[in-house]
Amino acid sequence: MASDTVLIIGGGPAGLEAARLLGDLGQKAILVEKRDALGGTPIAEHYAALTHNFRDAEEAMNELIAAAKANPTVDFRLGSEVVECSGAAGDFQVKIVRSGNGTGETVNVGSIVVATGFQHFDPGRETQMYGYYEYDDVITLADAEKMLKEHKFVTPSKGTPPQRVCFIQCVGSRDRQIGNEYCSKVCCGISSKQAIEIRQQVPDAKVFIFYIDMRMYGYWENEIYWPAQEQYHVQYVKGIITEIIRKGDRLVVRGEDTTMGRPMEVPMDVVVLAVGMEPSRGTKDVAKILGLKQNKYKFIEVPHDMLDPTATSAPGIFVAGAAAGPKDLDDTMAMAGAAAMKAAALVRKLARVSA
Amino acid sequence: MTIPYDAVNTKSSRKFELQAEYAPEDFHDHLFELEHEGEWIVQRVPEPYVEVMTKFGRKKKIPLEMTWHHKSCGQCGHIPGYSTAIFWLNRKLNFKYIDPTDQTSCTAWNYYASATSNAAAQASVGMRNFAAAYETGYFPIIHCGTSYGHYKEVREQLMHHAELRHQVRDVMKKLGKPMVMPEEIVHYSEWIHAVRDRIAALQTRDFSKIAVTVHPACHYYKLVQEDAIYDPDIYGGQRTATVSATVMAVGAEVRDYSTWFDCCGFGFRHILVQRDFTRSFATRRKIEVMKEEANPDVVITHDTGCVTTLDKSQFVGQAHGLNVGVPVMSDAQFAALAMGAHPYRVCQLHWHSTEYRPLLEKMGIDHEKAWAEFQEDLKQLKSGEKQYLTWEDVDA
Repeated sequence: MASDTVLIIGGGPAGLEAARLLGDLGQKAILVEKRDALGGTPIAEHYAALTHNFRDAEEAMNELIAAAKANPTVDFRLGSEVVECSGAAGDFQVKIVRSGNGTGETVNVGSIVVATGFQHFDPGRETQMYGYYEYDDVITLADAEKMLKEHKFVTPSKGTPPQRVCFIQCVGSRDRQIGNEYCSKVCCGISSKQAIEIRQQVPDAKVFIFYIDMRMYGYWENEIYWPAQEQYHVQYVKGIITEIIRKGDRLVVRGEDTTMGRPMEVPMDVVVLAVGMEPSRGTKDVAKILGLKQNKYKFIEVPHDMLDPTATSAPGIFVAGAAAGPKDLDDTMAMAGAAAMKAAALVRKLARVSA
Repeated sequence: MTIPYDAVNTKSSRKFELQAEYAPEDFHDHLFELEHEGEWIVQRVPEPYVEVMTKFGRKKKIPLEMTWHHKSCGQCGHIPGYSTAIFWLNRKLNFKYIDPTDQTSCTAWNYYASATSNAAAQASVGMRNFAAAYETGYFPIIHCGTSYGHYKEVREQLMHHAELRHQVRDVMKKLGKPMVMPEEIVHYSEWIHAVRDRIAALQTRDFSKIAVTVHPACHYYKLVQEDAIYDPDIYGGQRTATVSATVMAVGAEVRDYSTWFDCCGFGFRHILVQRDFTRSFATRRKIEVMKEEANPDVVITHDTGCVTTLDKSQFVGQAHGLNVGVPVMSDAQFAALAMGAHPYRVCQLHWHSTEYRPLLEKMGIDHEKAWAEFQEDLKQLKSGEKQYLTWEDVDA
């Protein structure tokens, strides 16, 4: 007998949007989230403002959480993990375990939406020449988000507002040496957004972005990239940064200015590494548990990609957001809608057939 | 003895956690699979061996003895005390080894510097040397950082390209040699790392007043980087532990400097086609920075090109009044000196161009007496009484 319930794994933007839409359809659904709180990476990593519209991240996510929870047909299981799965489309048996006390239950669901997201590249694993684990004043985009959210963007080692800040793009992305050849898609936009926020919060700071080439998709060009330069005087420098060293109590960024065709050494107070996306621990674990094919980067493989961007290698299991590869929020939300629709359509179709 | 650990401690409040899951696939499965298919013989690391941790947590076996010493062109040619020190250490530690006479150059310098040669020729040269080691029953250990890095790249190529393997097999057949790939490709500095505590146990000189800056060799840890030795307690696992751990083991003080990641200046192509760049890079970006930031008594490194470039380039810097003048030597020479080796008969520091005598004094070595002894040796050679110095002469 086909189950009439959809399982959503992950309570970040994609999972919440899927839950909201399934709830709006009156569809029975269970959302499982490993953390004790909903909101995913934007909440867990203290995002300040969303790219690209600068909306307060917490406010936007709380709105989404409230909308998802407003529907009584969606059951939320926080602090819980999927640990086993058997069965097939229409009749999956999924074991869910509470992280805290280890108590488990097995639920019967007809289809599954995987929305387990990404994690940021750890610059200590490779790219050690940037000194993330050597210098406190070398930070990541996520570290910067937290300071911007608190309206306290400072040089971490001193606690004072920085005079010079730079971003280094493509850290852990577009790097064949470390095996992450892909573009993480959002870092150029997020760096530019953060550069604007830094200029707003610390008006005296000079802000630089060192890039291979800026990938400002669609309207990001006019919404972020040009305002960053024209209104906020962020300086974009095309070049490769080869290392970060300490000189006295400051950092020095070394590399090549490829436009000018010469080496450069630029003193900085804070260096922000624009770390890319990698599949989250949850994405990798859930892919294994559900038996989903993963691509060479361990993101969940989408066999038909362009024409069916939410399908996985397993019938009845759909994917949304950055679990399937680097995604911005726009694509994540659109995928979540499509995945929710397909998941609901499947259980309803099977219900009709079995009736 | 108090060992100052500060320089190798991370200065950040963050702590890197090893992420073994991101490690590139362990090549051994493939290596043994090819052996199973009859593609080659895998020469096992002989026992006893020491297991060390590599960058992503894989354990690498380092043989203690029965080692076949693949020497370095530049060491033997320009800094002969380097390889002599390695052999001296083996003898003092009572380890069996072979100093073969049928080893060839790896030819990687041409390959890296000017892209001459080709994949089949490069791989055949490496495989011929491995076969020569195998035939003796001893396990290859590589003195040169470039040969070491290059052979690891050759291993990758051979494992993944059947056509290349077949081309090399044809060459080996003509040479009458077997196709052999060692279970591990081991650099001599990894062996020193593995036996550093044994070296320290036999130490006769106090190095506690010696300040050291370490130059990690690019071809050691930047080529097939997952194979280099790392230790979470040394630089927070963010730089290779090789050399620094050895320096610490003999009680010297490791001092940090900002340009540790930079090449020594050799740069392969640069030393051939832009020597001025090499000289200025070595002095301005390395030695001057070390002097300014750490003021070391000596620079310790673990590759031929690095010792040569960092040492001999200072001669030019001195002529231009730069802030240079730091002796440079290998970890092998440094460890041998700690164990009481003769500075001239074993370490042959007279081949080094930067003033090293104040360092010897700080190590408690009477260099005038040592030099007089060496002069006596030379008299015997000049008179024809002796053709060369023996190990007995060295320890006399």
